[in-house]
Amino acid sequence: MTPPPAESVAALIRPAPVARDSKVNRDLLRVMDGVSVGYFAVLALALGFMFAAGGVWIYQVYKGLGIAGYAHPIFWGSYIVTFVFWVGIAHAGTLISAILYLFRAKWRNAINRSAEAMTIFAVLTAAQFLGIHVGRIWKSYFILPYPNQRALWVNFKSPLLWDTFAITTYATVSAIFLFVGLIPDLAIARDRSTGWRRALYSVLALGWQGTSRQWKSQSRAVLHLSGLATPLVLSVHSVVSWDFAMSIVPTWHATIFAPYFVAGAIFSGFAMVLTMMIPVRRIYGLEEYITDYHFENMARFLLLTSTIVGYAYLAEYFVAWYSDVEAEQTSFWMRAFGPYWISTWVMILCNAVFPQLLWIPKLRTNVPFLFVLSTLINVGMWFERYVIIIGGLSREYDPAVWGIYTPQWTELIIVAGSFGFFCQFFLMFLKLFPVVAIAEVKELEIHAKAHRGGGH
Amino acid sequence: MPQLLGVFEQPEHVAAAARRLRDRGYTDIESFSPAPFAELDDAMDEKPSGVRGFTLAGGLAGVVTGYALTLWMANNWKIMVGGKPFSSFAPYTVIAFELTILFGGLMTALGLFVVGRLPSFRTHDAYNARFSAEDFGLVVRCRERDVAEIDGLLRDHHATEVSLVEA
Repeated sequence: MTPPPAESVAALIRPAPVARDSKVNRDLLRVMDGVSVGYFAVLALALGFMFAAGGVWIYQVYKGLGIAGYAHPIFWGSYIVTFVFWVGIAHAGTLISAILYLFRAKWRNAINRSAEAMTIFAVLTAAQFLGIHVGRIWKSYFILPYPNQRALWVNFKSPLLWDTFAITTYATVSAIFLFVGLIPDLAIARDRSTGWRRALYSVLALGWQGTSRQWKSQSRAVLHLSGLATPLVLSVHSVVSWDFAMSIVPTWHATIFAPYFVAGAIFSGFAMVLTMMIPVRRIYGLEEYITDYHFENMARFLLLTSTIVGYAYLAEYFVAWYSDVEAEQTSFWMRAFGPYWISTWVMILCNAVFPQLLWIPKLRTNVPFLFVLSTLINVGMWFERYVIIIGGLSREYDPAVWGIYTPQWTELIIVAGSFGFFCQFFLMFLKLFPVVAIAEVKELEIHAKAHRGGGH
Repeated sequence: MPQLLGVFEQPEHVAAAARRLRDRGYTDIESFSPAPFAELDDAMDEKPSGVRGFTLAGGLAGVVTGYALTLWMANNWKIMVGGKPFSSFAPYTVIAFELTILFGGLMTALGLFVVGRLPSFRTHDAYNARFSAEDFGLVVRCRERDVAEIDGLLRDHHATEVSLVEA
């Protein structure tokens, strides 16, 4: 018997119908389509702040750090405050992507992409401040262990060196994490775009076709990266906290600093994700994907971390009192009732008191309330670092070397510019890359469809 | 050799079809999926992914590099800092830890590229934009006389469409 030729069988087979696109793809890729006047206005504002800060920074390089309000005994000012602030913001992304991934918290899928992107942008913003702070930017490579004619090596016992390694590792691993997660979504965008976008996504998607070999390696890579990033995210702000805790400055020299800073970092990171994603969800109509349930879960995280941070504030005072060390006690008294009392009470109210309102279930799904609260938390967390750094340095052991620091206009513009720097990255990301992890949302939808018994 | 493409809507159907095909001795098969589904990936190939080896190698290289770098540099040009030993393991552990993560992460990315064969410069003949929407595909390369059997087999496993792929 001769087998039937393939062509004759093909005649029996229905012709392949035109490919249909899925609703998830359409809804989530639509965010990247077109730019409105409002978008340009916000982008222009962000770029305006960024360039203004750039101009001031060039002026500062020319004139020296003296114009930045640095004066004895305070040589860590707003730049270091803002550095710590942005490193803290960077913690939500990896926490959501890595730790919640390992805990199989499925609700992370709607927000992980935007949070990961914010992580990268926040680390980039933070890194700027190390360069700005050292003043002589052309010597900043001294921090790296590179072979040189003097055969000198860096001091690995210094927490500043640990910080260099921690921040570099964090930026690199977060970028890898973001990219590995993006590959399938870039393929989705590639298949549905034309012109320069198609060229861009074709290159970045690396020829992804969703074969089992590709998915298996990608899922494994995400799992391993999560395993690596989980201790990393907890270590980075611990190392930043040791920049302070390794010294003997009163209010800094405390073993509580690492968990205290990590909780604060996660707290501020979640607040920033809420601050950015509430308007994005509203403007691009993503309510179906980023639901109130997601916001409520993030609100719960805010409540938990706010409580930890509030506990740390109390523990600091308790330890100062219980230790009977006069310098500690004076410094903490000055923190609450001295020249920086406003900053201290802003920090306590915004970080430890207001978020406690989230115990009320209705407020956890009240989006305008969450927006206002998360903005206040961002303000409060900046002031927390201000209080710790400036408050500590201005009231060290000997009253003869006490001093007062006032931020100068140069610093304020550069700090404002850092928000522009961060926002312009995020705005461009919105238009260039899928802001919600499409493939991961689909994974949940296809599972849900199977459980409903649909599809036939 | 002709290639048959079956289109499916559910990952478990593709997985079952893939298992059946492999049991019947058809090994030249490829699947397309819009999202990661472990049951499908395992049905295509039970072996654990080789990415793990890359991560482990990277992590080990990182921890060794971290300690070696710090210990060697501190002893290469000795400068006493704070009266502490030149070979201070506690602070160097921070560096070793960070490099473990850094090298582990970089090697995991390399593992993805090597094991997942990325970048892939050739698009599969059967690949279609619908597989980055929400359809699943299973392509079988077979002899002409097996086409009818595979067509039936794919349809038995709830393939919504079966077609011959134009090479």
